[in-house]
Amino acid sequence: MARMKFLCDAERCIECNGCVTACKNENEVPWGVNRRRVITLNDGVVGAEKSISVACMHCSDAPCMAVCPVDCFYRTDDGVVLHDKDLCIGCGYCFYACPFGAPQFPQAGAFGLRGKMDKCTFCAGGPEPDRSEAEFKKYGRNRLAEGKLPACAEMCSTKALLGGDGDVIADIYRERVLRRGRGSEVWGWSTAYGLPPKPGAQPPAPQQPATSGKS
Amino acid sequence: MRLLFLLLSLTLAGAALAQQGPGPMPEDPVKALQHRQAAQPGNNNEAWREVRSGDPKYTTTTVRGRETEVAIQSWGDTWRRIRNGPMMFYGGWLLVLVIAAILGLYMWKGPVKLHEPLSGRKMRRFTAFEMTVHWTTAISFCLLGISGLIMFFGKNVLLPVMGYTLFALLTQLSKNLHNFIAPLFIVSVAVMVIIWLRDNVLRSYDWQWFRRAWAFFLRSEHIPSGRFNGGEKAWFWGGVLLLSIIMSTSGLVLLFPNFDQTRWTMQHAWIWHVTAALLYIAAAFGHIYMGTIGVENTYGNMRHGYCDETWAKEHHEIWYREVKSGRREPAGGAVPAGAPHMKEDA
Repeated sequence: MARMKFLCDAERCIECNGCVTACKNENEVPWGVNRRRVITLNDGVVGAEKSISVACMHCSDAPCMAVCPVDCFYRTDDGVVLHDKDLCIGCGYCFYACPFGAPQFPQAGAFGLRGKMDKCTFCAGGPEPDRSEAEFKKYGRNRLAEGKLPACAEMCSTKALLGGDGDVIADIYRERVLRRGRGSEVWGWSTAYGLPPKPGAQPPAPQQPATSGKS
Repeated sequence: MRLLFLLLSLTLAGAALAQQGPGPMPEDPVKALQHRQAAQPGNNNEAWREVRSGDPKYTTTTVRGRETEVAIQSWGDTWRRIRNGPMMFYGGWLLVLVIAAILGLYMWKGPVKLHEPLSGRKMRRFTAFEMTVHWTTAISFCLLGISGLIMFFGKNVLLPVMGYTLFALLTQLSKNLHNFIAPLFIVSVAVMVIIWLRDNVLRSYDWQWFRRAWAFFLRSEHIPSGRFNGGEKAWFWGGVLLLSIIMSTSGLVLLFPNFDQTRWTMQHAWIWHVTAALLYIAAAFGHIYMGTIGVENTYGNMRHGYCDETWAKEHHEIWYREVKSGRREPAGGAVPAGAPHMKEDA
Protein backbone atom coordinates (compact mmCIF):
# COMPACT_ATOMS: atom_id res chain seq x y z
CA MET A 1 0.00 0.00 0.00
CA ALA A 2 1.08 3.53 -0.69
CA ARG A 3 2.02 5.84 2.19
CA MET A 4 0.15 9.06 1.50
CA LYS A 5 2.02 12.32 2.16
CA PHE A 6 1.79 16.01 1.38
CA LEU A 7 4.76 17.94 0.04
CA CYS A 8 4.87 21.69 -0.53
CA ASP A 9 7.56 23.11 -2.82
CA ALA A 10 8.37 26.55 -1.43
CA GLU A 11 10.25 27.46 -4.64
CA ARG A 12 7.02 27.11 -6.61
CA CYS A 13 4.21 28.26 -4.30
CA ILE A 14 2.87 31.64 -5.47
CA GLU A 15 0.49 32.19 -2.55
CA CYS A 16 -2.62 32.05 -4.73
CA ASN A 17 -4.63 30.29 -1.98
CA GLY A 18 -6.18 28.02 -4.61
CA CYS A 19 -5.62 25.01 -2.30
CA VAL A 20 -7.44 26.74 0.56
CA THR A 21 -10.41 27.52 -1.67
CA ALA A 22 -10.42 24.07 -3.28
CA CYS A 23 -10.49 22.42 0.14
CA LYS A 24 -13.29 24.60 1.48
CA ASN A 25 -15.37 24.05 -1.62
CA GLU A 26 -14.77 20.33 -2.01
CA ASN A 27 -15.39 19.44 1.62
CA GLU A 28 -17.96 22.11 2.53
CA VAL A 29 -15.90 22.89 5.61
CA PRO A 30 -17.78 24.56 8.51
CA TRP A 31 -17.61 28.34 8.79
CA GLY A 32 -14.56 29.53 10.70
CA VAL A 33 -12.55 26.37 10.02
CA ASN A 34 -9.72 26.33 7.48
CA ARG A 35 -8.33 22.86 6.99
CA ARG A 36 -5.55 24.31 4.86
CA ARG A 37 -3.80 27.69 4.94
CA VAL A 38 -0.99 29.36 3.04
CA ILE A 39 1.78 30.98 5.08
CA THR A 40 4.20 33.50 3.59
CA LEU A 41 7.65 34.11 5.03
CA ASN A 42 9.30 37.51 4.72
CA ASP A 43 6.34 38.91 2.85
CA GLY A 44 7.45 41.69 0.49
CA VAL A 45 11.20 41.12 0.88
CA VAL A 46 12.48 40.80 -2.67
CA GLY A 47 14.40 37.59 -3.12
CA ALA A 48 13.60 36.21 0.31
CA GLU A 49 9.83 35.69 0.10
CA LYS A 50 8.67 32.09 0.35
CA SER A 51 5.19 30.63 0.67
CA ILE A 52 4.09 27.25 1.92
CA SER A 53 0.71 25.57 2.14
CA VAL A 54 0.05 23.95 5.54
CA ALA A 55 -2.54 21.39 6.63
CA CYS A 56 -2.57 18.10 8.50
CA MET A 57 0.60 16.26 7.44
CA HIS A 58 -0.76 12.82 8.48
CA CYS A 59 2.28 12.24 10.69
CA SER A 60 3.86 8.84 11.17
CA ASP A 61 3.91 9.30 14.97
CA ALA A 62 0.97 11.67 15.25
CA PRO A 63 0.94 13.76 18.47
CA CYS A 64 -2.83 14.28 18.17
CA MET A 65 -3.39 10.54 18.20
CA ALA A 66 -1.08 10.12 21.21
CA VAL A 67 -2.86 12.64 23.44
CA CYS A 68 -6.52 12.05 22.51
CA PRO A 69 -8.21 11.00 25.80
CA VAL A 70 -10.86 8.93 23.99
CA ASP A 71 -8.51 7.51 21.32
CA CYS A 72 -10.75 8.72 18.48
CA PHE A 73 -7.93 8.84 15.89
CA TYR A 74 -6.99 6.01 13.59
CA ARG A 75 -4.59 5.50 10.70
CA THR A 76 -5.81 4.03 7.43
CA ASP A 77 -3.88 1.49 5.36
CA ASP A 78 -2.66 4.45 3.27
CA GLY A 79 -1.11 6.14 6.33
CA VAL A 80 -3.84 8.81 6.45
CA VAL A 81 -4.67 10.01 9.99
CA LEU A 82 -8.45 10.20 10.42
CA HIS A 83 -10.73 10.66 13.42
CA ASP A 84 -14.19 9.68 14.58
CA LYS A 85 -16.37 12.70 15.34
CA ASP A 86 -18.89 10.50 17.17
CA LEU A 87 -16.23 9.75 19.80
CA CYS A 88 -14.62 13.24 19.91
CA ILE A 89 -15.43 15.13 23.13
CA GLY A 90 -14.02 18.51 22.05
CA CYS A 91 -11.32 18.72 24.74
CA GLY A 92 -8.79 20.45 22.48
CA TYR A 93 -5.77 18.28 23.37
CA CYS A 94 -5.07 17.43 19.70
CA PHE A 95 -5.02 21.17 19.04
CA TYR A 96 -2.44 21.66 21.82
CA ALA A 97 -0.26 18.83 20.51
CA CYS A 98 -0.29 19.35 16.73
CA PRO A 99 2.81 21.20 15.44
CA PHE A 100 1.00 22.27 12.24
CA GLY A 101 -2.14 23.76 13.80
CA ALA A 102 -4.30 21.30 11.88
CA PRO A 103 -7.06 20.39 14.39
CA GLN A 104 -9.66 23.12 14.73
CA PHE A 105 -12.92 23.44 16.58
CA PRO A 106 -16.14 25.08 15.48
CA GLN A 107 -17.44 27.02 18.46
CA ALA A 108 -20.35 25.07 19.96
CA GLY A 109 -21.62 27.52 22.56
CA ALA A 110 -20.80 30.54 24.66
CA PHE A 111 -17.40 31.12 26.31
CA GLY A 112 -15.41 29.31 23.61
CA LEU A 113 -17.02 25.90 24.22
CA ARG A 114 -15.56 23.58 21.59
CA GLY A 115 -17.56 21.44 19.20
CA LYS A 116 -16.30 18.33 17.42
CA MET A 117 -12.79 18.67 16.08
CA ASP A 118 -12.40 19.16 12.33
CA LYS A 119 -9.21 18.71 10.33
CA CYS A 120 -7.86 17.77 6.92
CA THR A 121 -8.77 14.18 6.01
CA PHE A 122 -6.48 13.92 2.96
CA CYS A 123 -9.89 13.88 1.22
CA ALA A 124 -10.43 10.42 2.68
CA GLY A 125 -13.61 10.96 4.73
CA GLY A 126 -14.10 9.20 8.04
CA PRO A 127 -15.21 5.92 9.63
CA GLU A 128 -18.69 5.98 8.01
CA PRO A 129 -19.27 3.88 4.86
CA ASP A 130 -17.28 5.31 1.91
CA ARG A 131 -19.07 8.07 -0.05
CA SER A 132 -22.12 7.95 2.23
CA GLU A 133 -24.19 11.03 3.02
CA ALA A 134 -23.25 10.82 6.72
CA GLU A 135 -19.55 10.68 5.87
CA PHE A 136 -19.78 13.72 3.60
CA LYS A 137 -21.67 15.77 6.21
CA LYS A 138 -19.13 15.09 8.97
CA TYR A 139 -15.83 14.88 7.11
CA GLY A 140 -16.32 16.10 3.54
CA ARG A 141 -15.62 14.35 0.27
CA ASN A 142 -13.96 10.93 0.18
CA ARG A 143 -11.96 11.44 -3.00
CA LEU A 144 -9.57 8.61 -2.21
CA ALA A 145 -12.52 6.19 -2.38
CA GLU A 146 -13.31 7.66 -5.79
CA GLY A 147 -9.74 6.97 -6.94
CA LYS A 148 -8.73 10.64 -6.83
CA LEU A 149 -6.11 12.56 -4.88
CA PRO A 150 -6.79 15.47 -2.46
CA ALA A 151 -8.52 18.44 -4.09
CA CYS A 152 -5.95 20.98 -2.84
CA ALA A 153 -3.00 19.27 -4.54
CA GLU A 154 -4.97 18.48 -7.70
CA MET A 155 -6.02 22.13 -7.95
CA CYS A 156 -2.55 23.63 -7.38
CA SER A 157 -1.76 25.81 -10.41
CA THR A 158 2.04 25.62 -10.12
CA LYS A 159 2.09 22.05 -8.79
CA ALA A 160 3.86 23.35 -5.70
CA LEU A 161 1.58 21.28 -3.49
CA LEU A 162 1.89 17.57 -4.12
CA GLY A 163 -0.26 14.97 -2.40
CA GLY A 164 -0.05 11.23 -2.92
CA ASP A 165 2.23 8.25 -2.53
CA GLY A 166 5.23 9.52 -0.55
CA ASP A 167 7.74 7.68 -2.78
CA VAL A 168 6.27 9.08 -6.00
CA ILE A 169 6.12 12.71 -4.84
CA ALA A 170 9.61 12.46 -3.33
CA ASP A 171 10.89 11.31 -6.74
CA ILE A 172 9.17 14.23 -8.49
CA TYR A 173 10.66 16.63 -5.96
CA ARG A 174 14.16 15.16 -6.26
CA GLU A 175 14.02 15.62 -10.03
CA ARG A 176 13.02 19.27 -9.57
CA VAL A 177 15.81 19.94 -7.09
CA LEU A 178 18.39 18.39 -9.41
CA ARG A 179 17.23 20.48 -12.35
CA ARG A 180 17.09 23.81 -10.57
CA GLY A 181 20.03 23.16 -8.25
CA ARG A 182 18.45 24.67 -5.12
CA GLY A 183 15.44 24.58 -2.80
CA SER A 184 15.92 21.06 -1.50
CA GLU A 185 14.13 21.53 1.83
CA VAL A 186 11.19 19.17 2.07
CA TRP A 187 9.23 21.45 4.33
CA GLY A 188 7.77 19.83 7.48
CA TRP A 189 8.79 16.29 6.57
CA SER A 190 11.24 15.82 9.42
CA THR A 191 8.54 17.00 11.85
CA ALA A 192 5.80 14.85 10.35
CA TYR A 193 7.59 11.73 9.16
CA GLY A 194 10.69 11.72 11.37
CA LEU A 195 14.23 12.57 10.38
CA PRO A 196 15.45 11.07 7.09
CA PRO A 197 17.54 7.93 7.66
CA LYS A 198 21.27 8.58 7.82
CA PRO A 199 23.35 7.28 4.91
CA GLY A 200 24.46 3.73 5.56
CA ALA A 201 21.84 3.20 8.25
CA GLN A 202 19.70 0.08 8.36
CA PRO A 203 16.44 0.26 6.44
CA PRO A 204 13.52 1.10 8.73
CA ALA A 205 11.71 -1.82 10.32
CA PRO A 206 8.41 -2.74 8.65
CA GLN A 207 5.53 -0.71 10.07
CA GLN A 208 3.00 -2.29 12.37
CA PRO A 209 -0.22 -3.37 10.68
CA ALA A 210 -2.42 -0.27 10.47
CA THR A 211 -5.63 -0.18 12.44
CA SER A 212 -8.82 0.54 10.60
CA GLY A 213 -12.05 2.13 11.84
CA LYS A 214 -13.39 1.59 15.35
CA SER A 215 -16.90 1.17 16.53
CA MET B 1 50.53 61.25 -15.28
CA ARG B 2 50.08 57.81 -16.78
CA LEU B 3 51.30 56.26 -13.56
CA LEU B 4 48.84 58.29 -11.55
CA PHE B 5 45.97 57.19 -13.81
CA LEU B 6 46.99 53.57 -13.44
CA LEU B 7 47.10 53.87 -9.67
CA LEU B 8 43.74 55.57 -9.57
CA SER B 9 42.06 53.00 -11.78
CA LEU B 10 43.54 50.16 -9.71
CA THR B 11 42.17 51.70 -6.53
CA LEU B 12 38.74 52.12 -8.11
CA ALA B 13 38.76 48.56 -9.43
CA GLY B 14 39.76 47.34 -6.01
CA ALA B 15 36.88 49.22 -4.46
CA ALA B 16 34.51 47.79 -7.07
CA LEU B 17 35.76 44.28 -6.41
CA ALA B 18 35.26 44.79 -2.69
CA GLN B 19 31.66 45.85 -3.43
CA GLN B 20 30.99 42.64 -5.33
CA GLY B 21 32.26 40.32 -2.59
CA PRO B 22 30.21 39.15 0.41
CA GLY B 23 31.24 42.12 2.56
CA PRO B 24 29.99 42.65 6.11
CA MET B 25 26.47 41.45 6.99
CA PRO B 26 23.97 44.34 7.25
CA GLU B 27 22.44 44.76 10.68
CA ASP B 28 18.84 45.17 9.51
CA PRO B 29 17.36 41.62 9.50
CA VAL B 30 15.46 42.16 6.25
CA LYS B 31 18.55 43.52 4.46
CA ALA B 32 20.61 40.68 5.93
CA LEU B 33 18.15 38.20 4.48
CA GLN B 34 18.33 39.76 1.01
CA HIS B 35 22.08 39.87 1.28
CA ARG B 36 22.24 36.19 2.13
CA GLN B 37 19.85 35.26 -0.66
CA ALA B 38 22.03 37.16 -3.15
CA ALA B 39 25.26 35.65 -1.86
CA GLN B 40 24.00 32.07 -1.45
CA PRO B 41 20.82 31.58 -3.51
CA GLY B 42 20.45 27.91 -2.54
CA ASN B 43 20.80 28.42 1.21
CA ASN B 44 17.40 28.71 2.88
CA ASN B 45 18.57 27.52 6.28
CA GLU B 46 17.89 30.81 7.97
CA ALA B 47 14.36 31.01 6.59
CA TRP B 48 13.50 27.49 7.75
CA ARG B 49 15.03 28.08 11.16
CA GLU B 50 12.60 30.98 11.48
CA VAL B 51 9.72 28.65 10.65
CA ARG B 52 10.84 26.11 13.23
CA SER B 53 11.16 28.78 15.91
CA GLY B 54 7.40 29.34 15.75
CA ASP B 55 8.07 33.06 15.92
CA PRO B 56 5.47 34.63 13.65
CA LYS B 57 7.47 37.84 13.25
CA TYR B 58 8.32 37.27 9.60
CA THR B 59 5.31 35.24 8.52
CA THR B 60 1.89 36.28 7.24
CA THR B 61 -1.22 34.52 6.05
CA THR B 62 -4.55 35.53 4.63
CA VAL B 63 -6.37 33.03 6.84
CA ARG B 64 -7.75 34.91 9.84
CA GLY B 65 -7.45 33.44 13.30
CA ARG B 66 -5.19 32.96 16.27
CA GLU B 67 -1.66 31.70 15.46
CA THR B 68 -2.62 30.88 11.85
CA GLU B 69 0.67 32.50 10.76
CA VAL B 70 2.69 30.00 12.83
CA ALA B 71 3.88 27.24 10.50
CA ILE B 72 5.32 24.84 13.09
CA GLN B 73 4.69 25.03 16.84
CA SER B 74 7.17 22.48 18.14
CA TRP B 75 6.27 22.70 21.83
CA GLY B 76 3.08 20.69 21.27
CA ASP B 77 5.07 17.52 20.81
CA THR B 78 7.14 18.35 23.91
CA TRP B 79 3.88 18.79 25.82
CA ARG B 80 2.68 15.44 24.52
CA ARG B 81 5.87 13.72 25.69
CA ILE B 82 5.69 15.33 29.15
CA ARG B 83 2.00 14.40 29.48
CA ASN B 84 2.21 10.84 28.22
CA GLY B 85 5.61 10.26 29.82
CA PRO B 86 6.65 11.42 33.30
CA MET B 87 3.30 12.94 34.31
CA MET B 88 1.33 9.79 33.56
CA PHE B 89 4.03 7.50 35.00
CA TYR B 90 4.88 9.33 38.22
CA GLY B 91 1.34 10.67 38.65
CA GLY B 92 -0.15 7.20 38.39
CA TRP B 93 2.37 5.70 40.80
CA LEU B 94 1.92 8.59 43.23
CA LEU B 95 -1.80 7.88 43.55
CA VAL B 96 -1.34 4.11 43.75
CA LEU B 97 1.40 4.38 46.39
CA VAL B 98 -0.54 6.87 48.51
CA ILE B 99 -3.56 4.57 48.52
CA ALA B 100 -1.30 1.62 49.35
CA ALA B 101 0.37 3.54 52.20
CA ILE B 102 -2.99 4.52 53.69
CA LEU B 103 -4.31 0.98 53.33
CA GLY B 104 -1.12 -0.36 54.91
CA LEU B 105 -1.37 2.03 57.85
CA TYR B 106 -5.00 1.09 58.40
CA MET B 107 -4.32 -2.65 58.26
CA TRP B 108 -1.24 -2.38 60.45
CA LYS B 109 -2.25 0.08 63.16
CA GLY B 110 -5.96 0.60 62.58
CA PRO B 111 -7.66 3.93 63.31
CA VAL B 112 -6.32 6.41 65.84
CA LYS B 113 -8.36 5.64 68.97
CA LEU B 114 -9.54 7.68 71.93
CA HIS B 115 -7.93 6.85 75.28
CA GLU B 116 -10.98 7.62 77.43
CA PRO B 117 -14.62 6.64 76.86
CA LEU B 118 -16.94 9.14 75.19
CA SER B 119 -18.35 11.62 77.66
CA GLY B 120 -21.72 11.84 75.93
CA ARG B 121 -21.53 15.66 76.17
CA LYS B 122 -21.48 17.32 72.75
CA MET B 123 -19.64 20.46 71.71
CA ARG B 124 -20.49 22.59 68.68
CA ARG B 125 -17.54 22.18 66.31
CA PHE B 126 -18.80 23.49 62.94
CA THR B 127 -21.66 25.84 62.11
CA ALA B 128 -24.27 24.99 59.49
CA PHE B 129 -22.67 27.55 57.19
CA GLU B 130 -19.21 26.02 57.60
CA MET B 131 -20.60 22.56 56.90
CA THR B 132 -22.41 23.76 53.79
CA VAL B 133 -19.25 25.40 52.48
CA HIS B 134 -17.15 22.34 53.33
CA TRP B 135 -19.46 19.88 51.62
CA THR B 136 -19.95 22.07 48.56
CA THR B 137 -16.17 22.16 48.19
CA ALA B 138 -15.77 18.48 49.01
CA ILE B 139 -18.44 17.18 46.62
CA SER B 140 -17.34 19.45 43.78
CA PHE B 141 -13.71 18.44 44.45
CA CYS B 142 -14.58 14.74 44.17
CA LEU B 143 -16.54 15.25 40.95
CA LEU B 144 -13.71 17.33 39.46
CA GLY B 145 -11.13 14.80 40.60
CA ILE B 146 -12.95 11.74 39.29
CA SER B 147 -13.81 13.37 35.95
CA GLY B 148 -10.23 14.61 35.63
CA LEU B 149 -8.80 11.17 36.35
CA ILE B 150 -11.12 9.66 33.73
CA MET B 151 -9.84 12.14 31.15
CA PHE B 152 -6.19 11.55 32.12
CA PHE B 153 -5.90 7.83 32.86
CA GLY B 154 -9.18 6.53 31.36
CA LYS B 155 -7.71 5.76 27.94
CA ASN B 156 -5.31 3.25 29.52
CA VAL B 157 -7.50 2.00 32.36
CA LEU B 158 -11.19 2.17 31.43
CA LEU B 159 -11.21 2.18 27.62
CA PRO B 160 -9.96 -1.41 27.25
CA VAL B 161 -12.73 -2.54 29.62
CA MET B 162 -15.63 -0.37 28.46
CA GLY B 163 -15.12 -0.11 24.72
CA TYR B 164 -15.02 3.02 22.58
CA THR B 165 -18.67 4.11 22.47
CA LEU B 166 -19.40 3.85 26.18
CA PHE B 167 -16.06 5.33 27.21
CA ALA B 168 -16.52 8.30 24.85
CA LEU B 169 -19.94 8.95 26.42
CA LEU B 170 -18.47 8.78 29.92
CA THR B 171 -15.58 11.07 29.00
CA GLN B 172 -17.91 13.55 27.30
CA LEU B 173 -19.96 13.63 30.51
CA SER B 174 -16.75 14.03 32.53
CA LYS B 175 -15.59 16.95 30.41
CA ASN B 176 -18.92 18.76 30.75
CA LEU B 177 -19.12 18.10 34.50
CA HIS B 178 -15.53 19.30 34.88
CA ASN B 179 -16.24 22.52 32.98
CA PHE B 180 -19.48 23.39 34.74
CA ILE B 181 -18.60 22.38 38.32
CA ALA B 182 -15.25 24.18 38.26
CA PRO B 183 -16.71 27.68 38.90
CA LEU B 184 -18.70 26.34 41.88
CA PHE B 185 -15.51 24.85 43.32
CA ILE B 186 -13.57 28.10 42.88
CA VAL B 187 -16.27 30.12 44.68
CA SER B 188 -16.72 27.65 47.56
CA VAL B 189 -12.96 27.33 48.09
CA ALA B 190 -12.66 31.11 48.21
CA VAL B 191 -15.39 31.30 50.87
CA MET B 192 -13.78 28.45 52.82
CA VAL B 193 -10.41 30.19 52.85
CA ILE B 194 -12.04 33.35 54.22
CA ILE B 195 -14.04 31.69 57.01
CA TRP B 196 -11.17 29.45 58.20
CA LEU B 197 -8.25 31.78 57.65
CA ARG B 198 -8.02 32.98 61.26
CA ASP B 199 -8.18 29.52 62.83
CA ASN B 200 -5.42 28.31 60.52
CA VAL B 201 -2.80 30.87 61.47
CA LEU B 202 0.28 28.89 62.53
CA ARG B 203 1.02 28.97 66.28
CA SER B 204 4.15 27.92 68.13
CA TYR B 205 2.43 24.78 69.47
CA ASP B 206 1.79 23.54 65.91
CA TRP B 207 5.48 22.62 65.54
CA GLN B 208 4.92 20.08 68.27
CA TRP B 209 2.31 18.41 66.05
CA PHE B 210 4.73 18.13 63.11
CA ARG B 211 7.48 16.76 65.38
CA ARG B 212 5.17 14.17 66.95
CA ALA B 213 2.99 13.36 63.90
CA TRP B 214 4.54 9.88 63.56
CA ALA B 215 3.62 9.10 67.15
CA PHE B 216 0.08 10.34 66.55
CA PHE B 217 -0.37 7.92 63.64
CA LEU B 218 1.52 4.97 65.08
CA ARG B 219 0.74 5.26 68.81
CA SER B 220 -2.44 7.35 68.85
CA GLU B 221 -0.46 9.89 70.89
CA HIS B 222 -2.27 12.96 72.17
CA ILE B 223 -0.84 16.25 70.84
CA PRO B 224 -2.43 19.50 72.08
CA SER B 225 -3.80 21.63 69.22
CA GLY B 226 -5.95 24.63 68.57
CA ARG B 227 -9.21 24.42 66.63
CA PHE B 228 -7.21 22.97 63.75
CA ASN B 229 -4.09 20.88 64.26
CA GLY B 230 -0.78 21.12 62.42
CA GLY B 231 -1.77 18.62 59.75
CA GLU B 232 -5.04 20.41 59.08
CA LYS B 233 -3.19 23.71 58.84
CA ALA B 234 -0.70 22.24 56.36
CA TRP B 235 -3.64 20.95 54.30
CA PHE B 236 -5.24 24.40 54.52
CA TRP B 237 -2.21 26.43 53.38
CA GLY B 238 -0.62 23.95 50.99
CA GLY B 239 -3.76 22.33 49.60
CA VAL B 240 -6.84 24.46 50.01
CA LEU B 241 -5.03 27.73 49.40
CA LEU B 242 -1.88 27.19 47.30
CA LEU B 243 -3.00 24.27 45.12
CA SER B 244 -6.45 25.82 44.64
CA ILE B 245 -4.87 29.04 43.40
CA ILE B 246 -2.68 27.11 40.92
CA MET B 247 -5.60 24.92 39.82
CA SER B 248 -8.10 27.75 39.46
CA THR B 249 -5.77 30.07 37.58
CA SER B 250 -4.57 27.42 35.13
CA GLY B 251 -8.06 25.95 34.93
CA LEU B 252 -9.60 29.26 33.90
CA VAL B 253 -6.95 29.64 31.18
CA LEU B 254 -8.02 26.25 29.81
CA LEU B 255 -11.74 26.69 30.44
CA PHE B 256 -12.09 29.88 28.43
CA PRO B 257 -9.98 29.51 25.28
CA ASN B 258 -11.67 32.55 23.75
CA PHE B 259 -9.26 35.19 25.06
CA ASP B 260 -6.65 34.76 22.32
CA GLN B 261 -4.25 32.85 24.56
CA THR B 262 -1.67 30.96 22.54
CA ARG B 263 -1.12 27.22 22.42
CA TRP B 264 2.10 27.70 24.42
CA THR B 265 0.11 29.29 27.25
CA MET B 266 -2.45 26.49 27.25
CA GLN B 267 0.18 23.73 27.11
CA HIS B 268 1.90 25.21 30.15
CA ALA B 269 -1.37 25.88 31.97
CA TRP B 270 -2.28 22.23 31.39
CA ILE B 271 0.99 21.00 32.93
CA TRP B 272 0.51 23.21 36.02
CA HIS B 273 -3.14 22.19 36.26
CA VAL B 274 -2.58 18.45 36.15
CA THR B 275 0.59 18.41 38.28
CA ALA B 276 -1.23 20.37 40.98
CA ALA B 277 -4.30 18.14 40.55
CA LEU B 278 -2.33 14.93 41.11
CA LEU B 279 -0.74 16.35 44.27
CA TYR B 280 -4.13 17.67 45.41
CA ILE B 281 -5.83 14.30 44.88
CA ALA B 282 -3.02 12.46 46.67
CA ALA B 283 -3.27 14.85 49.63
CA ALA B 284 -7.06 14.61 49.61
CA PHE B 285 -6.81 10.83 50.02
CA GLY B 286 -5.05 11.53 53.30
CA HIS B 287 -7.61 14.13 54.36
CA ILE B 288 -10.55 11.88 53.51
CA TYR B 289 -8.97 8.96 55.36
CA MET B 290 -8.38 11.04 58.50
CA GLY B 291 -11.86 12.51 58.39
CA THR B 292 -13.65 9.17 57.99
CA ILE B 293 -12.11 5.89 59.14
CA GLY B 294 -8.62 7.08 60.11
CA VAL B 295 -9.49 8.74 63.41
CA GLU B 296 -12.29 7.44 65.62
CA ASN B 297 -15.36 9.61 66.17
CA THR B 298 -14.24 12.26 63.66
CA TYR B 299 -16.60 11.93 60.69
CA GLY B 300 -19.64 13.06 62.71
CA ASN B 301 -18.02 16.45 63.38
CA MET B 302 -18.40 17.59 59.80
CA ARG B 303 -21.52 15.51 59.18
CA HIS B 304 -23.56 16.88 62.11
CA GLY B 305 -21.44 19.77 63.40
CA TYR B 306 -20.86 18.37 66.92
CA CYS B 307 -17.98 16.55 68.55
CA ASP B 308 -17.77 14.70 71.84
CA GLU B 309 -15.97 16.48 74.69
CA THR B 310 -13.57 13.56 75.08
CA TRP B 311 -12.68 13.78 71.42
CA ALA B 312 -12.13 17.53 71.72
CA LYS B 313 -9.95 17.15 74.81
CA GLU B 314 -7.78 14.47 73.22
CA HIS B 315 -7.36 15.94 69.75
CA HIS B 316 -7.81 19.70 70.11
CA GLU B 317 -7.02 20.36 73.74
CA ILE B 318 -6.14 24.05 73.38
CA TRP B 319 -9.36 24.74 71.49
CA TYR B 320 -11.30 22.68 74.10
CA ARG B 321 -9.90 24.77 76.97
CA GLU B 322 -10.56 28.04 75.15
CA VAL B 323 -14.20 27.12 74.57
CA LYS B 324 -14.69 25.73 78.08
CA SER B 325 -13.21 28.82 79.69
CA GLY B 326 -15.47 31.00 77.55
CA ARG B 327 -12.55 32.74 75.85
CA ARG B 328 -14.02 31.97 72.41
CA GLU B 329 -17.29 31.10 70.71
CA PRO B 330 -17.79 27.35 70.29
CA ALA B 331 -17.56 27.39 66.50
CA GLY B 332 -16.23 30.11 64.25
CA GLY B 333 -16.99 33.80 64.57
CA ALA B 334 -17.53 34.29 60.86
CA VAL B 335 -21.20 33.32 60.92
CA PRO B 336 -23.89 36.00 60.83
CA ALA B 337 -25.71 36.45 64.11
CA GLY B 338 -29.01 34.61 64.21
CA ALA B 339 -27.76 31.57 62.31
CA PRO B 340 -29.50 28.41 63.54
CA HIS B 341 -26.65 27.08 65.66
CA MET B 342 -26.46 30.22 67.76
CA LYS B 343 -29.98 29.66 69.06
CA GLU B 344 -29.24 26.01 69.81
CA ASP B 345 -26.09 26.75 71.73
CA ALA B 346 -27.40 29.71 73.67
